[in-house]
Amino acid sequence: MVFLTNLLFGFVLAAFCYAMVSARTRRQLLALAVAGALAVALLGPPPAQAQGSLVTAIQSVLNVINGLIKTALNSINSVRTALSNLYQQATWPVALINQAKANVTQMIGQYRGLMQSIFTIDLKSATLPNPAALEAVMRNHQTSDFTSLTSSFGNTYGAVPNAATVSLADRTMMDMDDALAVDNLKTLKESDAADDLTLRAADNIENAASQAAPGSAPFLTATAVVASIQSQALTQKMLAAELRQEAAKLAHENALRKRGATLTGDVNTQILNLLQRK
Amino acid sequence: MKNAIASVKQGLWWIWRHKVRTVVLLLVFSFLVPGPVRSQFLDPCCAILATGLSTISSTLSSVIGGGLNSILSVEKNISNFEQTVVWPQKLIAQAQSLVGNVQGIFNQIQGVMRVPVNSASLPATQQFEQNLLSRDPNQIAQTSAQYTAVYGAVPNPTAASPQTRDMVDMTDAAAQAAMKRAIEIDALADLELQAADQINQSIQTAAPGSAPIIEAQADAWLVRANAYTQSATADLMRVRAIDLANASANVKNGAANTAAIQQQIYNLLKRQ
Repeated sequence: MVFLTNLLFGFVLAAFCYAMVSARTRRQLLALAVAGALAVALLGPPPAQAQGSLVTAIQSVLNVINGLIKTALNSINSVRTALSNLYQQATWPVALINQAKANVTQMIGQYRGLMQSIFTIDLKSATLPNPAALEAVMRNHQTSDFTSLTSSFGNTYGAVPNAATVSLADRTMMDMDDALAVDNLKTLKESDAADDLTLRAADNIENAASQAAPGSAPFLTATAVVASIQSQALTQKMLAAELRQEAAKLAHENALRKRGATLTGDVNTQILNLLQRK
Repeated sequence: MKNAIASVKQGLWWIWRHKVRTVVLLLVFSFLVPGPVRSQFLDPCCAILATGLSTISSTLSSVIGGGLNSILSVEKNISNFEQTVVWPQKLIAQAQSLVGNVQGIFNQIQGVMRVPVNSASLPATQQFEQNLLSRDPNQIAQTSAQYTAVYGAVPNPTAASPQTRDMVDMTDAAAQAAMKRAIEIDALADLELQAADQINQSIQTAAPGSAPIIEAQADAWLVRANAYTQSATADLMRVRAIDLANASANVKNGAANTAAIQQQIYNLLKRQ
């Protein structure tokens, strides 16, 4: 590129010299002189700067570095240091984090065994063989022995009588009452087993909390909330079972009331018939 | 030699004749002659430049380099603190695996709660029990008919007094509503368990910064679940209130019947 530029410059200069030498009129000469002056004025190098302005420029760069940039860097440094101190001393002080974890561990030791021993106290109180068997199967937290529950319930409370011995209405009501009672006893066994598992989940979450970091704790709180939802759903299932049971009790009493009303009507009619015969 | 002298003379003669052209050419050449190169050692401008650049370099090293190094050290300190104390990757992974573990426990619970509990033995009661335990809100439409099949209908006006019929109807209504609510609550509880599963899966793939958002959603679900529990409790209270009202109505009817019997005995005695 530089070579080409030099070549072009030499060519233009030679052309200019030739034109100056071979110009015939004064007007041509004047035009060439003006063109040369313009070319020199336009293509000539800029005037050199004085030494004084170079020193000023260097000094101004130094001033910028020592003033603006230094101040900015110092400010950034002090802000980051303050932030670091805030994190380590106020937001996440290691001593308090360790203290919280130690607290969790201490409370696990203080309460878990005690509560478990209270919760596992044997509540069975039946004295006779049939009720004792029913009570044992009712309270064993197992869901694989529903058949024994049904047979123990039958042994204690008796089976639904034969069709020949009672009315259909009575048999139906007895069967429904027994069914709902046994359903609920089975649901309670499921719920006992679910309680054991829920307590295990709570223990696991608490164990994890004793080793957690501030950044991992949100996972534990979130899963604890989810466990609460699930636990609430189980409570709802128990409430639904209780609702069925209470409603069946009410329906049973009401069925007796209906029958009583019908019987009273029948008795009234029979007394009236008797009196009319006399 | 003679030729050379003659040529010089001829050239000088040309210059003498073309003074203007010669001056213009000399001026152009003088402007275009390259300037002298300045020496690095002798030119004071270069020395000043060198000193200035050296000062700038040392200032950059001390002021900017030093400042940046201090900031880097603070940043490293913060980064190290955050990685080891606040958000340690290992503990985050442990917490995420615990979420999976808790989910496993609740899957077991769901399995336990799905073991069938139906126990009725007669056709009508079996059908009614199946309806009550169905956890299917679409089956609520059949509950009333099946209830009547098991517990009977409201007596005819000829068979019972209006008060008794009102009481029977109200009691049946409360019992049926409670049974229907039980089906609803079972279905809602199933949906809550399903949602809880989904939320737990989200937590397992969450970041420490996004976990609180999922927690907020879980909190909202918990509030909702509490509302459903309250609704079930309300229905339970309604059933018990109707039971209490029935007990009271029985006493009232008993009192009214006693008064009526007394009146009839009195009338009988007066006739004799």
